[in-house]
Amino acid sequence: MTLEHDELQADCGLYVLGALAVDERRRFEAHLPTCDECTTTVAQLRPVADALPYAVPFVEPSPGLRGRIIDAASRARSPRSVAAPIPFERHDRSRPTRSVASLVGFLAAAAMLVVAVGLGVRASNLQNQLRDTEARLTDTRNRLDDAEQRLGASQRETTTIRRTLALVTSADTVELRLAGQAPAPQASARAFLSRARGVLFVGTNLPQTPPGRTYQVWYLTRGAPVSAGLLTADAQGNGTATFDAANIPTFAGMAVSLEPDGGVPAPTGAIYLATQ
Amino acid sequence: MWIWLATLSTAATAEADRDAVAGMVDGNTEGLTSLYDRHGRLVYSLALRIVRDAGDAEDVTQEVFVQAWRQAERFDTSRGSVAAWLLTVARARAIDLLRRRRVRPQLADAPANAESSDEAPRQDVRLEWAERAGAVRTALESLPLVQRLTIELAFFEGLTHNEIAEQLEIPLGTVKTRVRQGLLRLRDLLAGAAS
Repeated sequence: MTLEHDELQADCGLYVLGALAVDERRRFEAHLPTCDECTTTVAQLRPVADALPYAVPFVEPSPGLRGRIIDAASRARSPRSVAAPIPFERHDRSRPTRSVASLVGFLAAAAMLVVAVGLGVRASNLQNQLRDTEARLTDTRNRLDDAEQRLGASQRETTTIRRTLALVTSADTVELRLAGQAPAPQASARAFLSRARGVLFVGTNLPQTPPGRTYQVWYLTRGAPVSAGLLTADAQGNGTATFDAANIPTFAGMAVSLEPDGGVPAPTGAIYLATQ
Repeated sequence: MWIWLATLSTAATAEADRDAVAGMVDGNTEGLTSLYDRHGRLVYSLALRIVRDAGDAEDVTQEVFVQAWRQAERFDTSRGSVAAWLLTVARARAIDLLRRRRVRPQLADAPANAESSDEAPRQDVRLEWAERAGAVRTALESLPLVQRLTIELAFFEGLTHNEIAEQLEIPLGTVKTRVRQGLLRLRDLLAGAAS
């Protein structure tokens, strides 16, 4: 057996099923007359392929099909009147005349093809446009979300500035200065107090708080210190906080201590800032 | 024996088909109607299975019978059965249509319209079909799934072995082996059914 035979023998099944590509089918058909074994295999498998159509579910065509076939056959030239063998092709272009009806049919089919291709292109264009629009819409939505977030931040900032300005310029506002104590002699703070509008507390040069610790601001009263609230310093040691007016007791001064996160009811840590 | 398969039609049907072809050669449309009455439903069913659209399947069926009418004179009844010829042409046309359709984008799969009917145009034809159909379906269903799938993709979906290998993600050699082994197994099963 030749190498070619070994290779083509495996193609027998695909050949009878019509599943070989054109060039492979030609190569197989060229080999077939030279090989008894492949010829025998094809002869064995061909009837199996011929039997496969019987496996499909049987469905009745529409009753009108029979009549349409007879009409079409009647319009076609009868077999007897054909002098030369008719090519075994779908579209018989060798026919000397083409009836007006078939020409009209051909033109109609061609026109439909043009329309169909046009519609296909149009549909494809529309799909592309739709994809572009969706992409732009998503982009716009993202930008809108971003803008809304920035607007929200701006509004909060504006509100803070207005409140701060109102507090600082209020007629009853007093300003307190706090000086750095032993743990942070370079630190300082200013507090603007208004019993009508609350407290603005601004600290500078504060040391970074160790993990688990926070600054807590106190009102120093005649009795035990009263917590004003917590103060967070940024990386540069600056921190700003506002406290409600309702919590301001009668006091003699203010101080800041380092306390556990969340604050405590009474000061326990070192004093960092205190009024002089 | 499996020779039964080679003809796929009883002697009576084969003789009626030969007479019909002879009538068609003489320009007698009754030959064509008798051929259609015996095989039209099977040709249509095969086309419908492949193209999955009732209108397209009817177009294919019409083309097949008009081609048979035109080429009746050239048909050599000693070389093979008329039914096998009709089905071969039907499959080739349906797959042509399927491949042309695959080239352009599809918006949606057409419904199969596979409303099966047990009524046949003629009682004798119905019995003949039923026997063959039962045997072929049983044989096909008893194949290992991978062999059956490969054969069906090639025969009913019109895929080349390269396309099958790609679709099933298996090597080309495996496609060839499965098809060949599957067909040989089918042959044995059908021979057993016919004996």
